[in-house]
Amino acid sequence: MSFALECGKVKRTGFLPAFFGGGFLAGAVPALNMLFRSEMYTGINDSPVSILLRANWQMISMLNILLVIVGACILYNIEYADNAIQRMRALPVSECAVFFGKTAVLAMVSVLLLAIEAVSIGGCAVYWFESDAGLYGEMLKNFSFFLLLMLPSVLASLLTASLCRNMWISLGIGVVCVFAATMIPARNFVLSLFPFAMPFQILADHTEDAVRNYRIAGAAETAGIALLEVVILKIRRLFE
Amino acid sequence: MSFLSLVGVEWRKLRRSRIVLIMVLATVILWTPSILNADLNFGMQSEGISPENNFFIQGFMAMAWFLFPAAMVVVTVLQNQIERGDHGILRMLALPVGKAKLCMAKFAVLIAFSAIQFLISVGMYYIGAAIASHIQNYDFILPPVFIFKEIGVMWVSAIPMLAVFWMLAVCVRTPVFAIGIGFASIVPSVLLINTKVWFAYPMAYPFFAIVSEYGKLAVHLSAAKTELIPWLPTAGMITVLCLIISCSCFGQEESR
Repeated sequence: MSFALECGKVKRTGFLPAFFGGGFLAGAVPALNMLFRSEMYTGINDSPVSILLRANWQMISMLNILLVIVGACILYNIEYADNAIQRMRALPVSECAVFFGKTAVLAMVSVLLLAIEAVSIGGCAVYWFESDAGLYGEMLKNFSFFLLLMLPSVLASLLTASLCRNMWISLGIGVVCVFAATMIPARNFVLSLFPFAMPFQILADHTEDAVRNYRIAGAAETAGIALLEVVILKIRRLFE
Repeated sequence: MSFLSLVGVEWRKLRRSRIVLIMVLATVILWTPSILNADLNFGMQSEGISPENNFFIQGFMAMAWFLFPAAMVVVTVLQNQIERGDHGILRMLALPVGKAKLCMAKFAVLIAFSAIQFLISVGMYYIGAAIASHIQNYDFILPPVFIFKEIGVMWVSAIPMLAVFWMLAVCVRTPVFAIGIGFASIVPSVLLINTKVWFAYPMAYPFFAIVSEYGKLAVHLSAAKTELIPWLPTAGMITVLCLIISCSCFGQEESR
């Protein structure tokens, strides 16, 4: 029920068109990059998907994560503006259910975002590298990895948005977190587990072991942040 | 009501917004890696830049490319949201003050916040440089005149960008689009400063200003030339155009 309710709420916020627009913008990055400097990439001896991701993923994931933060802020801003959250609290729906409904909405649009980008990367691979051998398997492996590593930042940005009544505070914290993520050195595994730094990781840059560790960390952080939110909401309820 | 007292009113509204706290937090994160990795500044012989100049430039480059523009987008959100709660904007529009004047007062406050962001960064730079000097036994501190000259150039070059962000905040009524477009416009500035049309993209100006300064200080790097002729007229035109559009859009929806 919560999920349907949340879908209904975002209808007139421009949430879905914003993600579509963001997806097309991010999808345009590899296409434009190849259009202007394809000679830089076509000579490299690697799989087309890895070449394309190495060349473009930093920028694409930056757009993704900023969009996720804005999305999370909007999802909670519609509750805090005009005190809608108080009406939600009066309903026989727990606040945790509201949070997970919103998480489901944001995760769904993240899938949409990644799907648009996957089509773009796949299209570039086929068009400029003229090979689609093993393309689908590789794409699926890469983008499922991206999705798993994106979930902690989805939950973390919703967590901050749910705690801050004022949108600029949660947006500001999100910006500071993304900035901190960009400052983290790429070689440091422990620091790169910071939820907002994880979406920048690429499968091809890591060994099998490191990829497994990232997968475990992604799942653990997702569960951990969800649990943290449940605890915080329960405690906050006691004091209100 | 004079323009200055109007700016004062707008300023007072944002005093308790805690935005400055976030700015301070951001600059702490900005300078911490620089302090921890201060020894890397000694290995810049191939670029031909002195360690103290490198320490300063690297920090402010990191700030100019993402942190500063993104923080300014957040300030525009703050200015908008604070008026939307309890229909504050309706009360403001009911005052015997022109809409354009009100709009410009808010823009002046935005510029003031950008100055505050720079001042906080400079303050944190001096603290960071002092700590790094102590750890590395090398004087990283640069004279204030030089620092303020550099910061001044960056700040002035950021005004067209602020005008664009302000226009977005005023004219794009749906917050998700206004913020989304603002953020999305920051990301490609890294690519655009290396093209011939950088002067047509206001979001790249502060970053371009600091990168071209880096080119000047690093004797072995070819400096990106700052050609004032296409830049200044374009920047001026963009600023004026954005301000005219935002002044004419301001309060339209509410006063209908």
